[in-house]
Amino acid sequence: MRAKRYAAFLIRQILYYAITLYVSFTVIFFLLRLIPGNPIRIFQETIERSYGGTPFSDEVIEWFVEAYGIKDDIFTQYVKFFQRSFEGASLGPSFIAFPTPVEVLIRQRLPWSIVLLGTTTIVAWIIGIIIGTLVGLKRETKISDLLFSLMLVLSQIPSYILAIALLLLLAYVIPIFPPRGGYSPTVELNLLDLKFILSAAYHAFLPALSIILVSVCGWILSTRALTINILGEDYLLLAQAKGLRKSRILIRYILRNLLLPQTTGLMLSLGGIVTGSFLVEWVFNYPGIGSLFSQAIAFRDYNVIQGITLLTMTSVLTANLMIDLLYPLIDPRVLHEEVGKK
Amino acid sequence: MLVKLRGKSLSVKELEKISLILKSYKLKIGLGILLSLIIISFLEPIITRCVLGDMDPLAPGTFEKFLSPSMEHLLGTDHYGRDYFILVLMGLKNSLLVGFLGALLSTLIATLVAFSSGYKGGLFDTIMNSVTNSMLILPTWVILASIVLYVRGIDIFAVSLLVALFIWPGSARSLRAQVLSLKNKPYVDLAIVSGESDIEIIFKELLPNLTPFIMFRFSSLIIGAIFFEVSLRVIGIGASEYISLGLLINWFLTRGAIGAGYYHIVFPPIVLLILIFSSINLINAGLDEIFNPRLKKVTGE
Repeated sequence: MRAKRYAAFLIRQILYYAITLYVSFTVIFFLLRLIPGNPIRIFQETIERSYGGTPFSDEVIEWFVEAYGIKDDIFTQYVKFFQRSFEGASLGPSFIAFPTPVEVLIRQRLPWSIVLLGTTTIVAWIIGIIIGTLVGLKRETKISDLLFSLMLVLSQIPSYILAIALLLLLAYVIPIFPPRGGYSPTVELNLLDLKFILSAAYHAFLPALSIILVSVCGWILSTRALTINILGEDYLLLAQAKGLRKSRILIRYILRNLLLPQTTGLMLSLGGIVTGSFLVEWVFNYPGIGSLFSQAIAFRDYNVIQGITLLTMTSVLTANLMIDLLYPLIDPRVLHEEVGKK
Repeated sequence: MLVKLRGKSLSVKELEKISLILKSYKLKIGLGILLSLIIISFLEPIITRCVLGDMDPLAPGTFEKFLSPSMEHLLGTDHYGRDYFILVLMGLKNSLLVGFLGALLSTLIATLVAFSSGYKGGLFDTIMNSVTNSMLILPTWVILASIVLYVRGIDIFAVSLLVALFIWPGSARSLRAQVLSLKNKPYVDLAIVSGESDIEIIFKELLPNLTPFIMFRFSSLIIGAIFFEVSLRVIGIGASEYISLGLLINWFLTRGAIGAGYYHIVFPPIVLLILIFSSINLINAGLDEIFNPRLKKVTGE
């Protein structure tokens, strides 16, 4: 029975995922093509502005238009766009590293972003929930109140602003951390080499710190509010009246009721975290997707921009699907509600 | 006796609310900072005239490059030899303008979406609800960036509008929840029975009750609008004709001011943005303390 319910839930979530993915791909496709002007011309103008030089001949432009598949009518383009993105995961040639295909560029950068983003998101979420619960439980103390006010001020500051502040302070004024890059130029890119790993961690410290600090503040605030709400619930009073151990109340009653809204919160904030990390990467010139995006923006590299947009949409949606599918483990009620609705 | 007691406690509560507004240090500090920033940015044209006279503040090469702060140039000059103090003021003015315009437009969109879908329900509600949720989850800033990048001759109003088109979902979602809970209240039933039309109910019964809530969302949306605009400018998207705090950040990051140690160029936009974001957040927290009864009940304030 339980397995059946889970299967129904699974199908529903995956269907929803597929529809959202399809719609957002379609929207991005049409939005980018609704914009007036030929991307090849715009790229050429950008090159001219930055480097001077002769404009492309008509033949070159013709060739590019052919290679980029923007000659066909919009519906043929639309069909080809889906064929290319789903069958071969091919995103077309890039400008900034012509003729390297966009997917190759992305593949080089992706591991850097995944490690940075994955670690910081999870670490910030866990630390935030732990401190937030403590701050909520001890809300009468002076330290808790002080911490709360501090978090309130810090939590809305964009992570890249903090990144610039940290860069200035810890890389230039007191130069203890490297100001830019993903690893020291003196070590070789080798995943099994301890030197490389240490260097990469050393370079990732400041970017990670700026992302973690800002998101931790947000999680502390929301966890504190939730804890205070839960403390006012009748079931908690009952649990206390029953004389349950404090640790049991904390884990089974408070934490468990916290986790559900905070998991939803994590899903809703993923998009924002990705945006924030793009800019943090750009501030530190960290070799991830974010700096690739800003490079592509500087050169108006159409295919790279489109590729990264599609990639971030897909990964955020996929991460959400994964959290969604784990949901019933935290809250079994989800399965029952799903069935109840039908 | 009981009624009397209740009546008494109610009036005390109201008094408490007023004194809370006056006492809430978060609200006071936040409003104080934000209002002074707004006043300074209103004075920008006058200050520019006093300092530079008829000179164009944006014309490159008016002064020497990267001058240190002095009495003549309060914050020195930038990489093009322009008075940086004036640039910072213009940036502050435009960033605040985008914040308010963007927040205004997106509040409008959010209210429209929330009322039209929440009140009527049905298929339209289902569709709008999934659009709202998907937009909340997706990193829409990336899409916004790609669009703004390719639109030519974009000005401050167009940017505000585009930003507004992307930041409304959070507010629409929470407003819709409010509409849903309000529309089942007895006084709405009464209005329906007494033959008021849907439009009348929305404007006469629902909207007045949700005004404080909409105001609250408005001030959060200011943060959202400024965040989106500054993020665009920081990585170099948007016309360089209008200065924003984000563009100033982009300049000092890309023109080597930070590496060369010209910290007087780096600090002002950063400090101003931190002041803007934290002051609005303090205002929101202050409002929340006053209007959220749940928080009060438990904390016993």
